Amino acid sequence: MRESRLMLVQYVTAAAAVVLVAIHLLLQGVLVPYGTAISFGTVLSAYRSVISIVFLELLLVVVLVHGFNGVRIILHELRQTASWSRWVDAGTVIAIVASVGYGTRTILLAVLMGVSS
Amino acid sequence: MKDIRLVVQRFDPSVDRKPRYVEFPVPFREGMTVLDAILQARDYADHSIGVRCSCRQASCGSCGMKINGKARLACYTQVAELRSEKVVVQPMDNFPIIKDLVTDLDGFFDRHRELLPRILRADEAEMESPTAEYLMSPEELDKILQFTYCIKCGLCTSSCPTVGTDSLFPGPQALAQAYRYTMDVRDEGGGERFELLDTRHGVFRCHYAGSCSAVCPKGVDPALGIQLLKRHVMSAKPPRGNGEGARVWTKGS
Repeated sequence: MRESRLMLVQYVTAAAAVVLVAIHLLLQGVLVPYGTAISFGTVLSAYRSVISIVFLELLLVVVLVHGFNGVRIILHELRQTASWSRWVDAGTVIAIVASVGYGTRTILLAVLMGVSS
Repeated sequence: MKDIRLVVQRFDPSVDRKPRYVEFPVPFREGMTVLDAILQARDYADHSIGVRCSCRQASCGSCGMKINGKARLACYTQVAELRSEKVVVQPMDNFPIIKDLVTDLDGFFDRHRELLPRILRADEAEMESPTAEYLMSPEELDKILQFTYCIKCGLCTSSCPTVGTDSLFPGPQALAQAYRYTMDVRDEGGGERFELLDTRHGVFRCHYAGSCSAVCPKGVDPALGIQLLKRHVMSAKPPRGNGEGARVWTKGS
């Protein structure tokens, strides 16, 4: 992918992350008291709402893509060989896929627990 | 101020293992520039001080160096404006040292040339031997005018943190000139330049530190040019091109 496309992804995910993280923080201590927000029952109830599940998945993807893409940029500046560039690009994709996969797995497990409880 | 203490970083890569600092007392006079002080020390104290200069009026860009920690032109910096009796001069950062204050600018000019800093026309025959005059309005000129003031002194590149870490990054001077020619209404080579800029070590490696603009002795704002260039590269649309250049004036039209 061209660098301009990757940077567009970086800017869009940055803007999206600001909005999503702000909403997340509002629900984790501002609008909902922190003690209530992290209680077992409240956490599980979040996974019963489709909107909440989509929100959490979106937050996961946006933050991970933005974060790993940022690390990719730093790593590109660290060394300037063609092989290093290829490894960094491939490593970034693997890291994003693995992290999103692991995070999604956690969300799915919680959803299943929420449904079965 | 009677005397100044001129501290010169001395380093000859063929002999020395690391730089050393040598202090020269130089009598101060009204209107003295840092270059005057260095030449005074070279003429009367140590002929072996390596310094490069030519026009002495901030036009040629030869005497770029670090003066009291900031990249400046020695001929354009008054000793009095430094408000210090101690003046430390060092070679520019981000450039290989040839000797003392003289740096190797070859790589800098190579990067400048790589980004095609000239007007490119689709019609090569017309580009080489124009048959008409290509007009530009004052508003169109205004968009690029400040960038035409660049004297290629290298101060912006020496102060750029990305150049310090990424050896393939073109640097602020080359990028600002790429913007200057891409925005020129007579130019049709934006697409060709975008191919060179839209890479892993291209225009997007600029993190907008802004130090390039802070040190430019000619008032050019390379950081601005680079951010605007990013916008054009991102949209993948050169501002001109596909034959849509400047209005053409021919005799009798």
